[in-house]
Parts: sequence; structure tokens; C-alpha cells
Amino acid sequence: MHSHKVEQLIIATVGFFWCFLMWFSTAAFSPSIAATYHLTIKDLGLLASSAIWMAPIGRIVAGWASDRFGAPRTFAVILAGCGLVSIASAYTTNYEMLFAERVIVAIAGVSFVVGIQHVAQWFDSHEIGTAEGLYAGTGNVGAGVGALLLPRIFGTDYHRAFLWLGAIALIIAVWYLIRGNAAKTVERRIAARRGSDVRGTVFVWSRFIAIALMLAYAMSFGLEIAMNAWLPGYFTRGFHGDLLALGFSSVAGLQIAAGTFAAVESFNASLFRPFAGFMSDLFQRKGWTPLPFIAKELPYAPRLHWLGIALILITLAMIGLTVAGVYGSLPWSVAVLVAFGIFLSFGTGGTFALVPLLFPDRPGIAAGFIGGVSTAGGIVYPLIYAGSADIHMGYLYVALYMFVPFVLFYFWAARYERHPEEHGLFGRGLASQGA
Amino acid sequence: MNPVEIRVAPHEPWYKYGVAFLLMEMAIAIAVSAYSLYMTFNGLGGFPGKH
Repeated sequence: MHSHKVEQLIIATVGFFWCFLMWFSTAAFSPSIAATYHLTIKDLGLLASSAIWMAPIGRIVAGWASDRFGAPRTFAVILAGCGLVSIASAYTTNYEMLFAERVIVAIAGVSFVVGIQHVAQWFDSHEIGTAEGLYAGTGNVGAGVGALLLPRIFGTDYHRAFLWLGAIALIIAVWYLIRGNAAKTVERRIAARRGSDVRGTVFVWSRFIAIALMLAYAMSFGLEIAMNAWLPGYFTRGFHGDLLALGFSSVAGLQIAAGTFAAVESFNASLFRPFAGFMSDLFQRKGWTPLPFIAKELPYAPRLHWLGIALILITLAMIGLTVAGVYGSLPWSVAVLVAFGIFLSFGTGGTFALVPLLFPDRPGIAAGFIGGVSTAGGIVYPLIYAGSADIHMGYLYVALYMFVPFVLFYFWAARYERHPEEHGLFGRGLASQGA
Repeated sequence: MNPVEIRVAPHEPWYKYGVAFLLMEMAIAIAVSAYSLYMTFNGLGGFPGKH
């Protein structure tokens, strides 16, 4: 079937956008679900983290499946499967069953790596950054659109929302199957199918720099999805008095207010992502290497420095969220959230501006490892937030006890001036595999 | 993907539309942020009406 790469980009982006919308639709209605089933703050934390349970292993499998079976068939299966379970969840009245069904619907989030693979199969290296930026940035905004629009369209009727989301997912699945094409050329398709082996996987997974990038992505994208799921509940609980004072007294009103404030983080993290790629390019063009310890001679050293700056900014913004929350300032909290979302985009865009350069022969395996395992952060952070005695202190604990060590490890792993990918857990024998 | 490659890589016709779309996305993010901040002070009850 004749197709144009822009059509493939649009199909992948729409599919990913809808998957993201389904993925975080549970969070958008968490106040309604909590009110219906009388959930505690710990229950809310569990519900928030459950959205990400399937992502780490699911993304690794989905990346392999898209290489093996092609992105259109893999994406269509994800859309159809999650759509059907979403429809089923619309008719569920038992919380345990609803919880289980929403965990299955959350599998939609693994579609990220499938679309990344699909776009990479169609676009050439000189334009891949913009193409992947359009795909990832526009698709990710599905989470923000869900937080902002779903409560306004459906009120507290999450049953009807889940039904519509599932039904439209089935339509997109059929479209993807009919118009989607796995690769620009047969040669590319065959090369992708032949692509990965166990030894290559072990090589990538054991490299210090790959682990550092995985932790960097856990600090950015892992944190982004954790906050997507956590923030509506956080604003409802943490600023309940402020929201009441502003006139949001009903459950529907609280849900709209909390969703609107939460959308700030998601919109900025998603829509500034292409700008982050642009900044990485700018650092590269100008040769800026301002940070100490990190390599300055590598061909892509400026990009390492840009990502280092992003990680420091994310850590500082987390501390800022705690400070604004402890002082009980809703406007300051939302203002910090604006900066926080932009810094997250610096991290996500900065990380994937580096991955293809560090592992040019194994971009798929590297993307699966870095983009998949890092999402575990999205499970851990909400549990820490919910486990804190003060709802505002969780951000500070995560920043101090997780992010500071992650940043130090990144600086350590990025210090090699020659072939950082040769340094890893299994020494030179395996390192030669990477050549 | 060195600096020279970035400068000389020829862009296809779709590219300028892609960049324009990215700029529009950033404008949306700024607008949503401004609206949310406005709401923290004024509590409109949110579009499309009071709640």
C-alpha cells in the first residue's frame, strides 16, 4: 500500500495520544471514584501507582513485538485490547474489579515504544528528532487533555467516560491496521526484525551510561507519569481549604479545579519536549560544556551537559513543590508546577537526544531499557508521597534520598572522555560486543 | 550528528509545518499555565461554568 511518512506519523501520534488519554483517565476521575467507594489517601496512592505497574516489563516486550510483528499490528492489538477492557470497566460496580480492569487498561501506556519504533522506521536521521518530538510531545499531552477536559465533559460520570474512551480506541485500532505501514522500505523492516539478540541486550543493560540515562529518564518521564496520576488527588487533599475558599465545593467542582492545576505539569512536560531537543541541539552547536566532572571531549559532550543541567533543575523544582505546599500557597504551588513541568521536558527531551548517539547499533534495545525500566519510578514515587505523614513532604524525600544519588551517579558515569559505552558491569569481553 | 550535520542537513517541505506545529504546542502550554494560575486567584469554577 502506498503511504507517505507524514500519514504514518499522524496515525502513530493519534494512536499514542488516545492511549495516553486512556492511561490516565483513571486519575482524572480519582476524586469521583474515591467519593463513590470511600477511598483513603493510601488507597488513592495505590490507585495512582497502579497505572504504571504494567509499563516497565510491558514496554520492553512491546519494543520487541514491534520489531518482530511490525508497529501497526502491535499498536492495533494494544488499542483494541485496552479499549475492550475500558468498555467493560464502564459497567463495573465492584471496586476490586474496577481496580483490576483499570490496571489492564493502563497497559495502553506501553504503546510509547511501539510508536517510537514506527516513526524511526519511516524518518531519516536528519529529521528524526523533530519527527519523534512531534510524536512523543503531542501524544504525551493526552494525559493533560484527560485531566483538563474529561471532568468537564463527563462530570462525575466516569462510567460513561470509560465507555467512550474504549469505543473510540477500537475505531483507531481499525484505522491503524488498515492505513498503518510498518516501515518505509522492505530492507528497513527486515533489518528491524533481525535486530536484537540476548547478548546485545545484556551489553546495553550493563553499561554504566545506559543505567545513568535510565535513571535520568526515571527522574523525568517516570516522575512525569507519577505526577499525572498523583496530582489530582494531591490538590484535592493538600489544598482542600483553598479550593473550598475559591468556590469549588462539590465533588465535580473539586475534580475540575484539581484537574486544571494538575494539567499544568502535564501540558508543559509534554509540549515543551521538542524545545528540549532544540536546546540539546543548541548546546551541541555552541559546544557548551559548563558542568564540572562530566566529559568535555566526547562528540556529544554538550548534550551530556544539557541533560545534567535538566536533572539538577528537576531536583530543585521538587524541593520547591514541598516548600510551596508547606507554606500552603496554592498560587505558588501551581507556579512551581509550571517550571517543574518545563524542567521535566528538558529531562525527557535531553535523554532521548542522547540514546541514539550512545548506542547507534542498538537504539531499539537501548530505548526499551531506558524508556521501559525507568517507568518503575512512576510506581515508586506516588507510594512515597502517600506514605509521608505530611502530604507535601513526599517531594522533598524523593529529591533528597533518590534524585541526589541519581544525579551523582549520572555525573560519575558521564565522566569518561573516550567511549563511555565500554564501561559497565561485565568488563571488556562484553564491551567488545558493542563495537 | 555533529554540529556541521545539524547546520547543513536539508529539510523537506513537511519540516517547516512540523516546527510551526511545535511552536503552537508550546503556545498552548503557556496558555494553559496562565489560565490555571488565573484560576488559583479567582476561582472561576472552571470553564464552562461555575461549580
